Amino acid sequence: MAKILVVDDEEHIRLLYSEELRDAGYEVITAESGYKLLELIESEKPDLVVLDIKMVDYNGLDLLQDIRAKFYDLPVILSTAYDTFKEDTKSMAADFYVVKSFDLTELKKKIAMALEARESFE
Amino acid sequence: MIYAEENPSGVSEVDLVVAIPTFNEVANIATVTSQVDIGLTKYYPNLKSAIIVCDNHSMDGTREAFLETKTKNPKIYLSSAPGEKGKGANLRNLFERLITLRPQAVMILEADIRNVQPEWIYNFIEPILRGAGYVTPIYVLHKYESTLSSVVVYPFIRCLYGRRVRQSIAGDCAFGRALIEHFATVPHWSSFVAEKGIDIWMLINALYLRQPVCQTVIGLPKLHRIKDPHAQINRAFVQLVGTLFDLMVPFQDFWMRVKWSKPTILFNADLQEAEVAIPMDVNISRLFETFSRGLDTYRDLLNQVLSVAEMHKLDEIRSMGIQHFNFPSHTWATILFDMAVAYRDAPSDLRPSLLEALLPLYYGKVASYVRKTERMSTQQAEEVVENKCMVFEENKSYLLSRWKGN
Repeated sequence: MAKILVVDDEEHIRLLYSEELRDAGYEVITAESGYKLLELIESEKPDLVVLDIKMVDYNGLDLLQDIRAKFYDLPVILSTAYDTFKEDTKSMAADFYVVKSFDLTELKKKIAMALEARESFE
Repeated sequence: MIYAEENPSGVSEVDLVVAIPTFNEVANIATVTSQVDIGLTKYYPNLKSAIIVCDNHSMDGTREAFLETKTKNPKIYLSSAPGEKGKGANLRNLFERLITLRPQAVMILEADIRNVQPEWIYNFIEPILRGAGYVTPIYVLHKYESTLSSVVVYPFIRCLYGRRVRQSIAGDCAFGRALIEHFATVPHWSSFVAEKGIDIWMLINALYLRQPVCQTVIGLPKLHRIKDPHAQINRAFVQLVGTLFDLMVPFQDFWMRVKWSKPTILFNADLQEAEVAIPMDVNISRLFETFSRGLDTYRDLLNQVLSVAEMHKLDEIRSMGIQHFNFPSHTWATILFDMAVAYRDAPSDLRPSLLEALLPLYYGKVASYVRKTERMSTQQAEEVVENKCMVFEENKSYLLSRWKGN
């Protein structure tokens, strides 16, 4: 069972993602900020990270650079309410992005693709 | 083979190499050499470095201009035999020489760049010292600069080898020690690789060896000498697509397993410099004419290679005329895939004609891309390219099926 780490400072998003992704057959862990995120990834070894771009204390795009530099092939899906982030070069380091929605069909599709891609490289 | 070498400082082993492939670059070689020297001295004063020119036996004084440029770092001049031309041939000599120099990091920099900055040395070398295996640049590009990359090379490499490397044919790159020996054994070499195919040959070999790839953000456009763009693109197209197709056979066990694509590490991504790209004019009418004429010229050959449905689609596309011209990415992807299979199955003497027949279709696809994006910003045009890449990836199963002979 693939383990997914959801990083988002909004509690209702963490709850929604957790429930839906567990129902879809994934193991889910959550974090409410980017604090010690690299250590968390190191210890929990998730197969994929769903990362909020705009958190109160952290910029998801900066966290993404840190993750990519340390965990080259770890899939990261950016989750955002705004798509203006695409103008930022840093977003190129993400596997995919999804616009936040209560319908998680797109997120689940992107998760499946990212996990499949990673597996095919191993 | 190295035909001539001059190593006035007697350099034996170094930590860093910046190599400049040349052919008749007397006008600019001193400037580029000086900038490289400043960069190496400023950013890596405690490492042993060398600047190497690998030359195609230039007769215009490139060698003298290089060796006479005053630098703090030692210089080595290598030359291929008279008559042996091409960037790939130059780099092959470099790879051979690197075996004994044993650097940790090697940067390749083109000789005709007019705005090279000392910082570029850091931007390319530093990711290697921090663990990347292969580095390519992200220059500020106009949306119509390097359409060969936007329309063919980027989507094709991304679809096959699963890594999103946006400017793999920019001409400049860096790599680490792990790749030196592999490059030096020159696996799957060809006449295309000896010329412009070398850049994607290096990248694909790096991907095959699972080297971490990094894209380094330069934040500036790359200004270089303008040559005859039409002749350059035709030659580059044949050599690059020929290299892409040639490498599909030896690397099939790898690319056939890869699903979807993954990003790379980014370096210097905090740089959000809003440098403006060089303005470019594109003549859509001429592109459309070339496409239309080529469809007639190569019809017999295309009929043998492409499906009836694809030929009908091409005729339908042409009948739209220039005002409503639209070459769908799905059609373009399947044509490239069918061509790759035909190229593999064709006798080697017929392969160049397949590439020639594909060239006008490429111009048609470029015309369509220009038409679609003419009112778009660079960022919006980039999304069009990204969507095209997804179409390639979504249709990879078609390529797999054709490749396996189904």
